[in-house]
Amino acid sequence: MDAIRFDGVHKAFRRAGIDFVALEKVDLAIAPQEFVAIVGPSGCGKTTCLRMAAGFEFPTSGEVTVDGRIVTAPGPDRAVVFQQFALFPWKTVFENIELGLRNKGVPKAERGDRVAEAIALMNLQGYETAFPHQLSGGMQQRVAIARAYVLDPDVLLMDEPFGALDAQTRVVMQEELVRLARRNPRTVLFITHSVEEAVYLADRVAVMTRRPGRIKEVINVKPVRVAEHWDDHARIEDVMDLESFVHLRTRIWKSLRDEKGSQDR
Amino acid sequence: MIARRSIVGLGTIMVLVGCWYVLTSATGLVSPGRFPSPQDAWESAWQVTVTGYANGRLHEHILHSLKLIALGFLVAAGTGVPLGLLMGWSRRADAIISPIFLLIRPIPPLAWIPLAILWLGLGDAAKIMVIWFAAFVPSVINSYTGVRTIECYVVEAASMLGTPRWRFVLEVLVPAASPMIFTGLRLSLQASWTTLVAAELVGALYGLGRILNVAQQDIYPGMILVGMICVAILGWATTRLLAHAESLALPWLRTAEA
Repeated sequence: MDAIRFDGVHKAFRRAGIDFVALEKVDLAIAPQEFVAIVGPSGCGKTTCLRMAAGFEFPTSGEVTVDGRIVTAPGPDRAVVFQQFALFPWKTVFENIELGLRNKGVPKAERGDRVAEAIALMNLQGYETAFPHQLSGGMQQRVAIARAYVLDPDVLLMDEPFGALDAQTRVVMQEELVRLARRNPRTVLFITHSVEEAVYLADRVAVMTRRPGRIKEVINVKPVRVAEHWDDHARIEDVMDLESFVHLRTRIWKSLRDEKGSQDR
Repeated sequence: MIARRSIVGLGTIMVLVGCWYVLTSATGLVSPGRFPSPQDAWESAWQVTVTGYANGRLHEHILHSLKLIALGFLVAAGTGVPLGLLMGWSRRADAIISPIFLLIRPIPPLAWIPLAILWLGLGDAAKIMVIWFAAFVPSVINSYTGVRTIECYVVEAASMLGTPRWRFVLEVLVPAASPMIFTGLRLSLQASWTTLVAAELVGALYGLGRILNVAQQDIYPGMILVGMICVAILGWATTRLLAHAESLALPWLRTAEA
């Protein structure tokens, strides 16, 4: 069974008295433990797709299913990492990561262990009692990823998680996410507008059209990545120099550029 | 830097007291019947503290006023903050309650005094009611705004984590709104003092307003000044107390400023 499925998803909005179609017949199936990135021009509805999988929004017609069940509400089986981090400023790093486990009714001793594990995973040791304001953007996003990972969710939904970070921090986070995802595979739906990021991180990259959004094509990156041993390179720039990477990136970029050009008309 | 500011501030006050002395005692430019000299004020303070004035000694008046402030403010905060949070969170509650609110809000709190006295007499209950009405409004409005300005992704993060309703209220909604809640409480406290003095001026057996009222009837400028200074000091002290409570309650804001 697919971990996440979009079946004929159509989404119409009405804003300021004007109707517009955000998504038009989106079909996409994501297998368990598969990492899929969606790229598309801004305003194409890629974030709306993620929000529907999260249960924050619902399709006008069509179905979004996670593990075979139609999504009706948000829940800890589908952990979300937001672009704006969305941490609770009044809770310490530890308390932020712990909340989801408390909500699940995990006993206190086990919570301590699991939070410590997530903190170690994201290299946050020593910051347990800090408040989010005291951390840099990159550190805050680590906390948000730890908060999602600690729940051991079936599905991880990441909405441009590195979009608000500076370039150097973004690269470090991308490298860490690759290590995390390869060692500890999850079903991930990752939204980004960066083609490099999508190709570097994902098993498959879905390209969306401009609004009304559809899935234009899905490019399978994983076979190339495995055949060309991308994961043997620790640094993102070494991967980005590989001919196979450049080839895929250019191909997706061209596909996307056709869309952007027609939008900026 | 802070110490320097305090020294400058102290200097300003000393210059003012000096001018006061020169205009009254030293030159007599301002007649003692209009404004007391420092000496008059000191003697009045001594009198009300030691022998008593207007039915009681100073500490009795102060305690009585503080009791009314505490009760009125706590009742107002205890009803206003939850109501504001409810109206901020629930569109339905907002739709039902806000018309009543819009109707009552333009009435100045002091205009309730006659009705309060008619209902509850000249005792403490009427004053607490008027303080409540005055202090209620800022608590409601600011709590409401506090909820309405919560970033929607914080609410989404809480629901994504499966936060149950009451935990959401206590650990997300209230803390997120708390900076605005405290702004409301500060304004409520100011409103409490304003209203208390006015209500005690109209009719009271004890209290700082009572001192002011009797001193005015006795044409006793020294005692009027003492009453005013007491109100100023107590108003300042209670505001400081609230600020202290705020910094204890919101440690995450304290560290953000540091």
